[in-house]
Amino acid sequence: MKKLVFALVLFIALIPAALFANGAGETADQTDDGQYKVALIIENTIDDRGWCQSMHEGILGAMEQLPGKIHYEYSERMTTVDSESIARQYIADGFDLIIAHGSQYRNMVSDLAAEFPDVSFAFGTSSDIIADNVFTYMPESEETGYLSGIIAGLLTKNDNIGFVGPVDSGDAARYTRGFMLGVEAVNPDANVNVAFTGSFSDYVRSGELATTQILAGADVLTGASQQAIGALRACAEYDNVLWVGQDLAQLDTPEGQAKCVAASAYNYTAVVVGLIESLDQGITGGTCIPMNFNNGGFIFDYNPALSSVVTDDIRAAVDEAIASFTASSGVLADWADVQI
Amino acid sequence: MDIIINILSMTVPFSVALLLASIGEMFNQRSGVFNLGCEGVMSMGAFVGMLVPFIAGQNGALSNGWNWLGLLLAALMGAVLGLFFGVIVVTFRAPQGIAGIGLQMFGVGTAGTLFRHFVGGTQSIPGMPNSPLPLLSKIPFIGPVFFSHNMMVYLAFLFVPVAWYILFKTSWGLRVRAVGTHPRAADSMGINVNRTRYEALALGGAMAGLAGAYLSVCQVKMFSDELIAGRGFIAVALVYFGHWHPVKIMLGALLFSFTQTIQYNVQGLGIDLPYEFFVMLPYVVVVVVLAFTSRNQTTSPTSLGKPFNREIRT
Repeated sequence: MKKLVFALVLFIALIPAALFANGAGETADQTDDGQYKVALIIENTIDDRGWCQSMHEGILGAMEQLPGKIHYEYSERMTTVDSESIARQYIADGFDLIIAHGSQYRNMVSDLAAEFPDVSFAFGTSSDIIADNVFTYMPESEETGYLSGIIAGLLTKNDNIGFVGPVDSGDAARYTRGFMLGVEAVNPDANVNVAFTGSFSDYVRSGELATTQILAGADVLTGASQQAIGALRACAEYDNVLWVGQDLAQLDTPEGQAKCVAASAYNYTAVVVGLIESLDQGITGGTCIPMNFNNGGFIFDYNPALSSVVTDDIRAAVDEAIASFTASSGVLADWADVQI
Repeated sequence: MDIIINILSMTVPFSVALLLASIGEMFNQRSGVFNLGCEGVMSMGAFVGMLVPFIAGQNGALSNGWNWLGLLLAALMGAVLGLFFGVIVVTFRAPQGIAGIGLQMFGVGTAGTLFRHFVGGTQSIPGMPNSPLPLLSKIPFIGPVFFSHNMMVYLAFLFVPVAWYILFKTSWGLRVRAVGTHPRAADSMGINVNRTRYEALALGGAMAGLAGAYLSVCQVKMFSDELIAGRGFIAVALVYFGHWHPVKIMLGALLFSFTQTIQYNVQGLGIDLPYEFFVMLPYVVVVVVLAFTSRNQTTSPTSLGKPFNREIRT
């Protein structure tokens, strides 16, 4: 009996090894001379339709723009605790630039940057300069939030708008306040019901929160971070409810096609290309790269499937806002004054 | 009045995953086995439950049938994991706390890995539709609160009296309680302690698997690696909260979901308090109630967490 039980346990333990014997296929092409070895460390996955996917796609975009210049590898599901060991592994493998995509990695980056001054690091969102070999990047998401706010403010039929936030910090806080400014600009009578789930990745809770807001009367909603997918999915259960997205990847989902009127997205390609160009110039860190429409850090698009709901007024207001953001940065410098 | 109806009508479906998982965990603990791996089993259940309708597609007359098949297979997967846990803690008598944490990691990690390998990124499915009950759903107040949900909600709440009956009115329930309270005495009466614990673990695992699948097939209608997000641990806490009694556990699950729904609504009222206060409110309520009710623990299985070895006198 015990032999049988032992064999059963051994069999179950060996299933993953058999299934994934060929590895996860993360390694990119072989490196050549003149290439920069770039590593990405993320807490979620490269296909989370949000924060991590946008950086992954940004690096892939930079590889297309700078052919043969970047050798790229990534590590997913890296908690703050685990991240240091994988970063050390990349350093041991001779990587030139390690992008730790999240402000939670700040302490890890700070420690390793001091220990390995010849390696460049980047993390965000942050505007702090913490070492000469550390880049930071800060999406000025109040601009994308403002666009979403304009659209929501003009779309709502009952002046009741829902906002499913993760936490009130970082670029999510900027998106939230920009959204409220956008609504205020086009529809001062509208009420924005802002609530937070307390998590970037709790899809269940974001869906529950969206459902709550819809039953409370919200007919247009938005949300930030990857958890917003749960809220978007909840919207798909109701007729006459629309969604404004924070990430273009949301448009690729069935519910996004049905409910997401428009979305903005981070264009990390510009950031990564900027990092590589800095390395070319011998600059290994010590600067913060802002992301905004002015420097191509954001992109925006409508959902063609829902073009019928986008009125001329909406298009005109959005075009005007994008034009002002593109002309100069810092247009919404007072975003932090918005009280939630 | 509308806001009260809205809050209550959301409380009921939002509580179902916790209700199913915690009643399953109750059977585990009543048999003397403490399964901290509930989270992992729920995660595997969520994956398997979603995988079936995702692969089969959702078109045609059979669309809802695939949802039910997914739920069934999730329950079977949960039962298998429950038996696997039994091998570790009943046959090999490993420490239950550590083994449970191992099962939690195994389940969450395996579900996430298999999902990435066979499905890809975050995916949604049409999922199980709502089925308002004819006539009953039209009753003012009661209709929208209790009778306007998907079929799993009704079945989950119907299972509460069934679980009570199984536990307190059947000979199998008596055996489960006996091996959890005094396994040596049960053994001397001819009850196969290990077999009874295996059976309870299979039932508990099936319930946890079903709870996970409820989230992915009936509530959120999607899967991601972090879908369960700690609800398995809340389910374990609710068993203590409910003093190992199905009706009290149901009240605990409803209280947690009610507080959760309240905080969702209150956040939008513009009250001048940090949102973190509202987010933690459901957990604080459960902890406070747990603290005040834990003094009377006469119903707790006295052999909970203790491996049984009939060769050793204790």
